[in-house]
Amino acid sequence: MTEAKAAADRLVKAKRLNALLTPVKELRKSLTEQALAARPTGVLYGMPVAVKDNICTLEFTTTCGSKILEGYRSPYEATAVAKLKAAGALIAGKTNCDEFAMGSSTEHSAYGRSIHPLDKARVPGGSSGGSAALVAAGAVPAALGSETGGSVRQPASFCGVVGIKPTYGRVSRYGLVAFGSSLDQIGAFGRSVHDAARVLSVISGRDPKDATCEDRDPLRLPTVPESLQGFVIGLPREYFPPDLDPAVRRACDRAVRLMKEQGAAVREVSLPHTQYAVPTYYVIAPAEASSNLARFDGVRFGPRADGATDLRTLYRRTRGEGFGPEVRRRILVGTYVLSAGYYDAYYRRAQQMRALIAQDFRNAFDRGVDLLFTPTTPTPAFKAGEKLADPVAMYLSDIFTVTANLAGLPAISLPVGRVKGLPVGGQFIGQAFLEDEMLEAAYALERAVPATEEA
Amino acid sequence: MSVTRDDVLRIAQLAELEVEEDGLPALVDQMSRILDYIAQLSPATGSNGLRPFVPGPDAIRFQPDEVKPWPLAFGPEKFAPAFKDGFFVVPKLDQFE
Amino acid sequence: MGGGGGGWETVIGLETHVQLRTLSKMFCGCSAAFGAAPNTHICPVCLGLPGALPAPNGEALKLAVRAALALGCTVHAKSIFARKNYFYPDLPKGYQISQFEQPLATQGSLSFLAPERGLVTATIVRLHVEEDAGKSLHDRFPKATAVDLNRAGVPLIEIVTGPDFRSPQEARAYLQTLKQVLEYIGVSDCDMEKGSLRVDANVSVRRAGESALGVKTEVKNINSFAYVEKALGVERERQVAALEAGGAIAQQTMLYDSKDNAVRPQRSKEESHDYRYFPEPDLPPLVLTPEFVAEQQSLLPELPASKRERFVAQYGLPRQDAAVLTAGRAVADYYEGVVHAGAEAKAAANWVMGEVLADAKDHAEALRVPAAALAQLIGLVKGGTLSHQAAKRVFGELANRGGDPRTIAEALGVIQVADPTAVAGWVSEVLGTHANEVGRYKSGETKLMAFFVGQVMKASKGKADPKLAQRVLEEKLAP
Repeated sequence: MTEAKAAADRLVKAKRLNALLTPVKELRKSLTEQALAARPTGVLYGMPVAVKDNICTLEFTTTCGSKILEGYRSPYEATAVAKLKAAGALIAGKTNCDEFAMGSSTEHSAYGRSIHPLDKARVPGGSSGGSAALVAAGAVPAALGSETGGSVRQPASFCGVVGIKPTYGRVSRYGLVAFGSSLDQIGAFGRSVHDAARVLSVISGRDPKDATCEDRDPLRLPTVPESLQGFVIGLPREYFPPDLDPAVRRACDRAVRLMKEQGAAVREVSLPHTQYAVPTYYVIAPAEASSNLARFDGVRFGPRADGATDLRTLYRRTRGEGFGPEVRRRILVGTYVLSAGYYDAYYRRAQQMRALIAQDFRNAFDRGVDLLFTPTTPTPAFKAGEKLADPVAMYLSDIFTVTANLAGLPAISLPVGRVKGLPVGGQFIGQAFLEDEMLEAAYALERAVPATEEA
Repeated sequence: MSVTRDDVLRIAQLAELEVEEDGLPALVDQMSRILDYIAQLSPATGSNGLRPFVPGPDAIRFQPDEVKPWPLAFGPEKFAPAFKDGFFVVPKLDQFE
Repeated sequence: MGGGGGGWETVIGLETHVQLRTLSKMFCGCSAAFGAAPNTHICPVCLGLPGALPAPNGEALKLAVRAALALGCTVHAKSIFARKNYFYPDLPKGYQISQFEQPLATQGSLSFLAPERGLVTATIVRLHVEEDAGKSLHDRFPKATAVDLNRAGVPLIEIVTGPDFRSPQEARAYLQTLKQVLEYIGVSDCDMEKGSLRVDANVSVRRAGESALGVKTEVKNINSFAYVEKALGVERERQVAALEAGGAIAQQTMLYDSKDNAVRPQRSKEESHDYRYFPEPDLPPLVLTPEFVAEQQSLLPELPASKRERFVAQYGLPRQDAAVLTAGRAVADYYEGVVHAGAEAKAAANWVMGEVLADAKDHAEALRVPAAALAQLIGLVKGGTLSHQAAKRVFGELANRGGDPRTIAEALGVIQVADPTAVAGWVSEVLGTHANEVGRYKSGETKLMAFFVGQVMKASKGKADPKLAQRVLEEKLAP
């Protein structure tokens, strides 16, 4: 009971971040009810976990940061949420995000932007900015986010927390409102690798409700390794371009040195198709999104536009009014690249390029590399408004993260330093379904790296 | 490979999206920029004839044929914008036969 | 009428959608049963709620593969589900999960008896699996459409032929044969009234002798086999009239209106359909092992054509009769049950084609008399215990009340007397009182035998076995 009150109080204190979409009164009431019902034998018993608002919960509304789902209460909950509850966790409200997870700053939410915990002029990243900000501010020990192109790792990097994206198929997508179906995964935020990993472990595992979820047991957490002896870490040269922000480079170099000191072997590798990753992503994700978002039509659920006396007007007005500009752009781009005459040049070509990108990773791993290490983002958190003028400018901030989504590989971002007080993240990209090796390396780096020190 | 105003209107129709007249020029410009950006994929060599990559299981695993629906905590009378006599209600399609 | 009146040839291709007989839907565990109150067989998946995902039904695939095998198709080891994107209120997700570039099966065939051309083999170009949409009712509320999603997600197979039919009658004959095959293998009810079989047709015409195909239109909204013939006839006439008047055929969709037997263009939408097919990212590839396919093959029953030929050979039946008996599997199995229970094949055929089918027609196709009982009944007639007329009465009782044929016959008092002494007695009585006719018979009027048999029947109050009576009479009247 007191835990529930304390959890609510901590979230209320972080109100200024505009990261939580759930009204305080409803949050308090629900936390109290949930605390009474929670399973005391669960491994996450009593742990408040905030959930990104594109994940369906029975508690609270699910708006995906959009007006088209304003006030929508889902009549079912996501498998990941059910698993959290079965483990005794408390669902500590829904967090703000870019509308339908489309964005890299949480500025594209219909409910206002979220604010970086350390600098109110800056963005916390996106699309899972609300979840990252709350964890970074200490308002909640862990949170769920989702990734399509880096939307957990990038805000984790910006906010100075740990963010994990599992292998595609590790965590059920049932109840995650689909954006890019072949890219989407639910991920976890925590203040430490251990917290994030614990949550990920609970939500992972087979689910007959998701045909793309692999028939595997939940993730088993490794123990913290004594050293990194035997680990071969690859540094892909395409992620350390000559024009990389020097402070980010310094922080990553320091991290690499600390890994070597723990016994890791480090090698340069090449992922030659990296330059095509962002355009490939921005063909595939919008294409799938344009189809996934067709169900938002005002017919069966959600608000409906007023005054439409014929069906087509109902559709166009509901969707035109309900979707924000970034979502509309992506739906249009996606529709275009799938349309007759353009499918081969865009969508089919992008899927083929995706095969090459995945092949790059396989080649690196086949040559004896266990894990890759790279900066998570090219820069620390940017200022609000800085990247809104040109949509492509925003897309380019995904440059180091989209590849793991395209290849379906697990990845983790953890803070490796500060640049003028702003957090910088470094990421490991692991082999498919070998999250345990990736987590071992992350544990080892975490204990050594001075995450809050200037690089 | 820029898009024209007519292209955007045609796509908007396919996507059932209302596009405001005054927002149209900016939208055309933004769409053109995005499509020009992703068009760099087209001449990329070595990708012709390659099998697409999609992550996830290699083959479908089937569910048994039994009447066991996934749970719905409450029915459409609670979440539908218009529901009458057990039916979802929508305005008629203008050109219905 | 017919295919080529006035020097024009009609070319028809058919797309048939068939609902598969599963308990649950294609991608979720909701009931697939017909006739429930609206929107009661729904869940997040078939409602298309945000975050829901498809979970494929294995039985649907098995039935689809069996259908493909029965139609002689190549079943592909790997096929892909694809999204067909368009907006309509009874399509909850805004796309239908179907198959496009890599369907389940291709290159099959189905032979059928065409009224004018004899045996025709239609090519089955493709057979693929997809989900059904819900139902839109446009007349329930004023100025509005009512949507029922019970049907959304029910498994379908789509069967596409080549442009193989040359008349509306052929199209209908093909459909009836297709229905028969699919019913035989138990994959569907194929009931056009319940919507478990739906047909869209592609129709074009060309001058007789031309090899190029004319512009085709699609004809939809055909709700029975009879309307198939009518609708295609009407469209054919429309096209011929247009071309003869010097016009051209527009490629468009025509809707059939059964009320006035006319076709009208579906008022064209602003843009033609661009379905933007792409592989369904929520479903891995459909991979079938050779063992799986072999198992489905082994589960196929004997198909109608083979069964018909076997009946001709095994039971010595004329092909026409064999066709009637093998029209439906239930009747065919019943017939064989009667024969295996000891009935003579031809007698059994007559009884099944006659009394049994007539009774079934009035009782929702139920075969009310157990095969063994009918076999016994037939045996009683053959053995002279019952006349055919009496047996029909007994059959009626068996159908309504069940029981044992002999017991019923006794209760009805229709057991024929085959006791030679009794019959001899009646014969003597008759011969004794008809000396004149006896004389005439002995002088050559042998057709008086019928008269004597009639008199014996009268004397016995209908109970004498007429065949036995005739034998005794012949004996007694022998010179």
